[in-house]
Amino acid sequence: MAYPYTHEREVRMLSEHFGEPKARTVEGWKARGGYRALERAFELGPDQVTEEVKTSGLRGRGGAGFPAGVKWSFMPKKPSADRPHFLICNADESEPGTFKDRELIRWTPHQVLEGCLLAAYAIRARQCYVYLRGEFFEATQVLARALEEAYQAGYAGKNILGSGVDIDITLHVGAGAYICGEETGLMNSLEGRRGQPRVRPPFPAARGVFGMPSTVNNVETLSSVPHIVQNGGEWYRQYGTDQSPGTKLFCVSGHVNKPGNYELPLGFPLMELIEDVCGGMREGRKLKGVIPGGSSVPILSAEECVDCSLSYEGVIEAGSQLGCASVIVMDETTDMVKQVRRMVQFYAHESCGQCTPCREGSAWMTRVLKRIEDGRGTEEDLDALLEIGAQMTGTTICPLSDSAAAPVASSIQKFRDEYLALIRRGERVSAA
Amino acid sequence: MSDGATGPHDEKAPFRNPGWAGNTGEFDLTEADVRGTGFVGKRPLDGGHPSGASSFPYMLEEKSPEAALFEGPYRKRFDKIRSQYPEARAALLPCLNMAQEVRGHISAETMDQVAELLELSPAYVRGVATFYTMYNKRPVGRHLIQVCTNISCNLCGADEVLGAFLRETGTDLGETSEDGEFTIVEAECLAACGFPTCVQINSRYFENVSSDDVPAILERLKSQDD
Ligand SMILES: Cc1cc2nc3c(=O)[nH]c(=O)nc-3n(C[C@H](O)[C@H](O)[C@H](O)COP(=O)(O)O)c2cc1C
Ligand code: SF4
Ligand code: FES
Repeated sequence: MAYPYTHEREVRMLSEHFGEPKARTVEGWKARGGYRALERAFELGPDQVTEEVKTSGLRGRGGAGFPAGVKWSFMPKKPSADRPHFLICNADESEPGTFKDRELIRWTPHQVLEGCLLAAYAIRARQCYVYLRGEFFEATQVLARALEEAYQAGYAGKNILGSGVDIDITLHVGAGAYICGEETGLMNSLEGRRGQPRVRPPFPAARGVFGMPSTVNNVETLSSVPHIVQNGGEWYRQYGTDQSPGTKLFCVSGHVNKPGNYELPLGFPLMELIEDVCGGMREGRKLKGVIPGGSSVPILSAEECVDCSLSYEGVIEAGSQLGCASVIVMDETTDMVKQVRRMVQFYAHESCGQCTPCREGSAWMTRVLKRIEDGRGTEEDLDALLEIGAQMTGTTICPLSDSAAAPVASSIQKFRDEYLALIRRGERVSAA
Repeated sequence: MSDGATGPHDEKAPFRNPGWAGNTGEFDLTEADVRGTGFVGKRPLDGGHPSGASSFPYMLEEKSPEAALFEGPYRKRFDKIRSQYPEARAALLPCLNMAQEVRGHISAETMDQVAELLELSPAYVRGVATFYTMYNKRPVGRHLIQVCTNISCNLCGADEVLGAFLRETGTDLGETSEDGEFTIVEAECLAACGFPTCVQINSRYFENVSSDDVPAILERLKSQDD
């Protein structure tokens, strides 16, 4: 029996071998068709690999949804001896609600490695760093072991498969800081600095890690690449929507009967994900709201969920963003003010402190929300929260500040009654 | 790490919450399968293949705040780590990780030693080390218990789980129990949100933890090295 839940409506491309311990070994992975895309890539050449990925329309799975092939094409065409290219695989997964990259690494380490090799080849990088979240001890061990096997089998290192191409992969382990998931913060951290985001421009393709042309991609983005190179960009487009092609791991958490990772074509209806795939709401309770893309995106009210389709464009239409497709489901018993406070507290803790609106705003919001939660708030507090949120949006070096403000604004807008009830009566609308 | 499959429970038996992911019922994987410990085996102290040398987790059963740093196999591991980067500075986090693996926490003296090794200024290393939450600035218990209370876990009772750990061990948040066994802290999202509540204990994740499971987990920890 597969692990831990599967559903017949899934399209299991990335997750096909989740729950199969043998798929972790290089032999087991080869037996499942692994590393054939790498052979094909060496026949196609780097530019054609980039073209296939462009054709596929694969969008970045780390949150922003930027087309991967287009990003690769920003890299200079020829690295010079003193300007080597770098690929970074972003495995710092720490957006609250998101738990797909860890599963990809622990179950299908070679899929991740093959994706890294293909992307490095396409952007002409001879060195790839996988920046792993420090907490991922187990997953990192699995990946380290798989990488050692890949070296032994000639899939990594010098003259890969006799092609004359050299690509090294190095695992780099972080030490606990959400902001190191942001790509320029990540590059600073990789260089041995505080993981504080950098001002752009220059963009990573011009001056990235160690000052060299660099590309950062998420684990899931890279894991999709072998399938695209193997089967072609057009083939990939049979799944998903025109603007959001392919399949995506949906991380469903919260008040559903069967939480977990489900791989579905993009554009899947949100309510069917909850009701059908995830076995419905726990204890048959009513839906209150959904955060569709991890805690950095606006909350959708139950009404907004009804017609929401889970594609990048569909979720924007519904009033939020797809982010990392981390679907956090909240039922009628949810204490919205408490949960929003908990989210903002996270951002206050994780703010790197460079920008005043972010550092001060997130800490201040946490205090005001706590005051409201404790029944000591005023109606003016709500206006003040919105005001501060507006000042935190679009004014900082990185989008963490905007992320902190998003749940506050959307919850005040959509669940104002709950705030007011706490303020007026000093008691919660619903107990947690 | 002692093999994840060992423990007081029969690894094949379907029982609620041994604390490993996917404890949702209908599957036939062992704990070693899920954790991948069977595949990883024991990795050598010198870091093994250079590509993964900086990935070594802290897994020594006994940590010693006075242990020598960067000697013997650790020196070999350092050389491998250093070979992976164009600049020495980039080896800073891997070196701090290694120091914590051996010593259990990163004291100011440890930071200075790392600074010397990498020819960085002590002030610089302190500035970096204090930025990252995983570096314990002071000693912690033999089992560092980090309970995620972020949103997905919180929706499913993380506050109760945290409360149960504090109650059962009789410690305050962030403090170490008198017998030196447990330190309990609150954690941010551990990227296991579909298996709430997630609790990281030293290098290992315990998942689907409910407050009822806490006594059994503590029992298991006491009778087992981690
Ligand atoms: C505050 C913040 C945190 C982020 N955390 C992550 C992360 O943990 N993992 C990730 O892949 N991308 C994260 N990102 C997005 C990255 O900056 C970057 O866009 C992404 O890794 C690019 O890869 P992609 O194009 O394949 O999605 C984060 C962004 C921000 C602003
Ligand atoms: S917005 Fe916040 S996290 Fe981002 S750079 Fe500024 S202070 Fe740091
Ligand atoms: S919210 Fe607890 S692991 Fe993500």
